[in-house]
Amino acid sequence: METEQITATQEPATPVATDRQVVIETRNLSKIYRDFWGREKVKALKSLDIEVQQGEIFGLLGPNGSGKSTTIKLILGLLFPTSGRVLVFDKDASETRKNERIGYLPEESYLYKFLTAEETLDFYGRLFDMSGEHRKRRVNELIKLVGLEHARHRQLREYSKGMMRRVGLAQALINDPDLIILDEPTTGLDPIATREMKDTILNLREQGKTVLLCSHQLADVQDVCDRVAILHQGELKELGRVSDLLKVQDVTEVHARGLSDDAKQEIAELIKRHGGELKSIDNPTATMEELFLNIVRESEARPGARRLSTAAGSETAAASDGAAKDGDAS
Amino acid sequence: MTLQPEDFWSYSEWLLRPDAFLQSAILQGIVLAILAVLIGLIIGYLLAAARKGPSEGFYSVARVVRDLFVFDLPGTSPARVYALGRLAFKEAIRRRVLIVAGIFVVGLLFAGWYLNPNSDDPARLYISFVLTATNYLILMLALFISAFSLPADIQNRTLYTIVTKPVRATEIVLGRVLGFVAVGTCLLVPMGVASYFFVTRGLQHDHAGIEEIEKVPDSSGQGFVYVGKTTYDRNHFHTFTLFEDEEGNLEGVTNIARGHQHIITRKQGSDDYVIERPLPLTARVPAYGDLYFLDRTGQRTESGIDAGYEQRKGGYGSAGLERLIGRTSEAKRIEFGYVEGGSLGAGIFTFPNVTEAKYVEDIPLQLNLRAYRAHKGKIDRKLRGTITLRNPDSGAVTNARTFEVNEYQVDDYRIPLVLPGNDGENNRDLNVFEDLVTDEGTLQIELRCLDRGQYLGMTKGDVFLKPQETSFAWNLTKAYISIWLQMVMVISFGVMFSTFLNGSVAMLMTFVCVLLGFAAEGIYDVRHFIDSNQSMGGGPIESLIRIAKQDAMTTELDVDALTSKVVKGADTAIIYSMDAIATSLPNLPKMLGTAEYAASGFDIFGSLLGRHITTTLAYFLVAFFVSYFCLKTREIAA
Repeated sequence: METEQITATQEPATPVATDRQVVIETRNLSKIYRDFWGREKVKALKSLDIEVQQGEIFGLLGPNGSGKSTTIKLILGLLFPTSGRVLVFDKDASETRKNERIGYLPEESYLYKFLTAEETLDFYGRLFDMSGEHRKRRVNELIKLVGLEHARHRQLREYSKGMMRRVGLAQALINDPDLIILDEPTTGLDPIATREMKDTILNLREQGKTVLLCSHQLADVQDVCDRVAILHQGELKELGRVSDLLKVQDVTEVHARGLSDDAKQEIAELIKRHGGELKSIDNPTATMEELFLNIVRESEARPGARRLSTAAGSETAAASDGAAKDGDAS
Repeated sequence: MTLQPEDFWSYSEWLLRPDAFLQSAILQGIVLAILAVLIGLIIGYLLAAARKGPSEGFYSVARVVRDLFVFDLPGTSPARVYALGRLAFKEAIRRRVLIVAGIFVVGLLFAGWYLNPNSDDPARLYISFVLTATNYLILMLALFISAFSLPADIQNRTLYTIVTKPVRATEIVLGRVLGFVAVGTCLLVPMGVASYFFVTRGLQHDHAGIEEIEKVPDSSGQGFVYVGKTTYDRNHFHTFTLFEDEEGNLEGVTNIARGHQHIITRKQGSDDYVIERPLPLTARVPAYGDLYFLDRTGQRTESGIDAGYEQRKGGYGSAGLERLIGRTSEAKRIEFGYVEGGSLGAGIFTFPNVTEAKYVEDIPLQLNLRAYRAHKGKIDRKLRGTITLRNPDSGAVTNARTFEVNEYQVDDYRIPLVLPGNDGENNRDLNVFEDLVTDEGTLQIELRCLDRGQYLGMTKGDVFLKPQETSFAWNLTKAYISIWLQMVMVISFGVMFSTFLNGSVAMLMTFVCVLLGFAAEGIYDVRHFIDSNQSMGGGPIESLIRIAKQDAMTTELDVDALTSKVVKGADTAIIYSMDAIATSLPNLPKMLGTAEYAASGFDIFGSLLGRHITTTLAYFLVAFFVSYFCLKTREIAA
């Protein structure tokens, strides 16, 4: 019989941040959008106080229009606060010099479509006053990192959305920044690219870098973020460690393998005897992401038609088989 | 081409105006710069105060000014400016802007069909055509590429990824301007080369041969010369005189027809006359003298006789700030002074720096005089005048040499270095440099009119010595440099407006600035008429009323007294403010004027080009700082 495993939700390996340096600090940050005549249109952000510490992945979470993007733009100095302040590396957000240590991946990759990937990275490298040799090396490294070697000489106008994101990520990393700000990093990416993006983000944290990201893809945030701030209608609704926020204190989770029905019955009785309430006893389901990634991995290892699982409808299976056969024949 | 007094100013005279500092360019520049800074600070403060309150607004303005001098100017990196400039350049090139050069060349290929082959001066026609075409094409292009680029980057948000790098606002502005200037230069160079070949090739032609030739005794009566004329080709023929050298070869130069000459030769023993291609185009480098007049009794005066409507063409000209405060109303435009024939009246030109080194063989004198016939006289004969050289110190004077006046074309005379005359005591042959030029190197030339009751008109710019010629290619290059400077100006303004306006509005504003620059002289004139109380149509509202009522512009405005007062008051206010605006804008037509120099075959003065370069630089700097503040204080993501 296998040993039972009691698992809490996944705990990030980072220690609790107490004495670490504050990278971003917003003080009573507010932003009101006004129209041409100065009349108030939207209160996009109301008195936001957050601190992002060095080495953590901080997530800004919220529905559309909740003020995430506004916060990021204020931090970058693309917008000026109506009141309050933003300090980045102890400098005011409106100062250009802070940008030496920042990498920014915008919501959509706002890049010059008439440049090739290599020219794009070279251009942004020049903006950091990098020497020719250093720039060349860095461009090659990054193109390799984001896997665009095959398309480095193609103009960005020919790129797919995913490829654009990768170039965007590469340009954000060109200066080896200490703080990386990612605006919706996984939006519009397929699951593989999403996984890669998440791995890259985690990898950055391992290098000791600070990451601030905003997203409404909750699963992604849950996977990578150490701490999150949840915004709604411009107000901070929740702030804390992901593990603390998501931990359900009064529910215990038991994972076990190879239990017979009798054993399950016995466990249920045991719980009852101890005054607990059995909520469910069931086979766990894998996540769609896991399923998808498994299939793709398998397909890369053994190209060709895949025999579908019996769970799928027999009609579709037949149709797929037919298609696969056609594919084989051709 | 009649030069205005200000065209004669040297660079330092223009910059400082020693006698009239209020007219000086440097004062105008400084006042404009201070005004720009003040207005900028006030507007900036008002906007900031409205957003953040009075004291916080003050700090934010102060912070921007501090940032400029403490961080952004010293932190501006040439490498980043280069990168941004290269990007702007690539953007324009990948948008296929270079097609414009192709269109220009194609235009040139077809232009030959439309240029009048019967023109008296085809060189002028060709040169002014290519220069005007290039000028407008380039300015239009500069307008488009500069006004739309930055707003497009803000709209596509490509600017987000740039301003989140350590890029200064100074670098963004400089990069844009330099990138677009590079694009323009890449267009101008091929256009210039194409123009050069278009003009030189277009003027090339052959004459089929000699129409008639005759051997006649020469003026000394001892030898013979050959006189004849060429065949009629390309709507003209030339007359010529050939001289025989010791070996029996004939050689000579034709007269000037349609602005050019040919060399004709015949080898000894051969029957074939060789008519060479037209002599290459050159640019005259004139040396001007000072002009004063003698009236009909021989008394010295500063202006000649007014033959009608000469003095009234007054106006402010571009008197700089002096005009703005309404101080000058003296005529700024040149007028012809006339000399009466058969009297003691004369026009006397004093030329400085006449040295042997400059005039080796002879002294080339060029005249472009006006003839005014007060009575019919002998209508088939041209007016006649005399040229006399005179030494004001010793009183030596040459015998008067008679000439005929060809109106509206330049008469070319070569004064030999030895002339018969009187040295004050005896009649003898006078040497120009020994007897006629004073110790300070000045030479006086006296022009009189011979025909009694007729008048000869002259200005300072119309009688000049021609110590040297420069090549046409270099002169065309200078004209192109002038176009290039105008382009830099338009680009600077376009980029400036595009930092706070959207693309089409920015283009419109730049266009309005260019237009106001072009209309400046007209605005000055209207102001002059208002100031001097002359009824010349009045300001915009009055003109509109006159158009509606179909009134002539010199009559009194036909409305009741009160309306007239209101209309005139409003017009004065409008014209004064337009004047102020036009004064603060670059005077592009002045720069466009260099094309006229090139077309008339005059070397474009170095001082003129120097003035244009200084002006362009000054406006570029103003536009640069305005752009910086606008870009720095705007929310890129708003």
